[in-house]
Amino acid sequence: MSLELTGVTVTFGRTDARTTVFDGLDVTFEPGRMTALAGPSGSGKSTLLAVAGALLRPASGQVLLDGEDLAALTDARRARARRERIGYMFQSGNLLSGLTATDQLLAAVYISGARPRAHRSRAEEALTRVGLGHRLRHRPEQLSGGERQRVALARALFLEPKLLLIDEPTAAVDRSQAGDLATLLAERAHQDNCVMVVATHDPAVAEAADRVVDMTALTAGAASAAPAGR
Amino acid sequence: MFLALLELRAARGRFLLMGSVVVLVAALVGIVSGFTTGLGDDTVSALRRLPASQLVFSSDAKSDQFARSLLDEKTAAAWSAEAGTETTPLGVSITRGTTNRGAEVDLAAFGVEPGSFLAPSVTEGDGLSGAAADSMVMSAKLADEGVRVGDTLVIDRLGIELRVVGRTERSSYGHVPVACVPLKTWQRIRFSTPGAPASRTTAIPGQFSALALRTAPDGASAADLDARYSTTTLSKEKAYEAAPGYTGERLTMNSIQVFLYLIAPLVVGAFFSVWTVQRRPELALLRAMGASRRRLLAHTVLQAALVVVLGTAAGAVLAGAVGLLVGEQVPFSLPASTLTATMCTVAAVGLAGTALTLRRVTRADPLTMLGANR
Repeated sequence: MSLELTGVTVTFGRTDARTTVFDGLDVTFEPGRMTALAGPSGSGKSTLLAVAGALLRPASGQVLLDGEDLAALTDARRARARRERIGYMFQSGNLLSGLTATDQLLAAVYISGARPRAHRSRAEEALTRVGLGHRLRHRPEQLSGGERQRVALARALFLEPKLLLIDEPTAAVDRSQAGDLATLLAERAHQDNCVMVVATHDPAVAEAADRVVDMTALTAGAASAAPAGR
Repeated sequence: MFLALLELRAARGRFLLMGSVVVLVAALVGIVSGFTTGLGDDTVSALRRLPASQLVFSSDAKSDQFARSLLDEKTAAAWSAEAGTETTPLGVSITRGTTNRGAEVDLAAFGVEPGSFLAPSVTEGDGLSGAAADSMVMSAKLADEGVRVGDTLVIDRLGIELRVVGRTERSSYGHVPVACVPLKTWQRIRFSTPGAPASRTTAIPGQFSALALRTAPDGASAADLDARYSTTTLSKEKAYEAAPGYTGERLTMNSIQVFLYLIAPLVVGAFFSVWTVQRRPELALLRAMGASRRRLLAHTVLQAALVVVLGTAAGAVLAGAVGLLVGEQVPFSLPASTLTATMCTVAAVGLAGTALTLRRVTRADPLTMLGANR
């Protein structure tokens, strides 16, 4: 199982002010490996995650996950692919306010259509595996930045996704926690045998990755860089 | 349901505040509804109880017909002969009197022919049939003011003595308790000159306020008879408007109720609109995690339904409690059917207010989760 992007073209804006981010991009990501996307802001890291994670439909090209082209699916089936096969961990704001760490994982179970209460003990085990056994009943505002990201990671992995997409995981985490978090991510990629793609500026994350993709080199030839935050 | 309840628990302060507003709006609607029904009953309950389908007034009385209309026996006889249905005269006037126990009361004197279909059925004592001309059957409402069966009541300034022979269920007209008297006695009350010595009392005309029809005319049409005898026929329900203050009160109370029905969805809609804007990032996160639009909609509607339905139910209890508290002191009547209908309307309009926010929910964009947008 791998993630394969072939001939992907992404553009933003109207005809008179169109920005091309990718123009016929080809890239493949293997399972059981953590791949870091490195490059300056605007080089297309987040856009690549959005396209790979069925959040953004490319103008052309294929996004093949397990042989199925995510780009060709309807909106409803793309949402289904996200809840059944793709996990996300965002730069910030990953957690639902007011919910305990355990409930964050059960919310993902609920969205998947399963009965959350039957998964409570498994959710607690998953949080323990990322070092949060003592924070099960804590709410987001009671957790540090690193702990929040660990909860998000536990939730992203909880439903055993085939693809895990991570956007700047250490951006809201202090330096002392960034290295630990990067190591944890790599471990989980190896143990869970999922395709893990991480967009990052952080050398600690790049260092922990099995592979580093230089976005500037990858998108060389593209008409222009992506707008900030895309 | 799981997530909706978790969110409700997490933001219970905000939802309690919103729920309290719904409780107060629902209670206010219930209380206004209680006053609308109560005032309506207080004004026309005696007319509602009349076993008549239509009432005939003189055509020159365009408003306040019970006070202004006067028909004579000749017209009554013509109608009786040609309408093809049972007819009987009805006299209505408001007066006041004092009992032998010193109770001073206002009363709506209803003059009816003893033995006619308008003669009152009593719950205590005797009816008017076979009773003396000075007999009176009072509404139970007069008992609240200290009048008892067996008392003697003197009409103020006229000196006409009435003996209370029986009691009916509660009924009133124009916020005044009803007392049924024989038609001849009513004509004395209506047409006597106050303060005139008995020796100078002129002949009492055989007139009355209206003619009651037991059923719709079966012979000549009401329109034909109206044209021929200078009368106006109104259905009993339409004749409520002829009662003093009825239309104005209804209009006022219904206007308040309509405004509350407009306020309820706006308040609920505004709350859920702000709530949706505040949690837009979380809705985007849920969408990114694969939640379908339908699930997010169901989630929002469920939260709104819980707040609105529970708030409305509590409001209904509060309105009922107010009704019990004010008791008989004010004209307040809130039967279960009225309360249920009112509260269902509040809940429905409240949920309609939520509908204003649903579009925002479906437009949550998961793409905003990526990059440094949050």
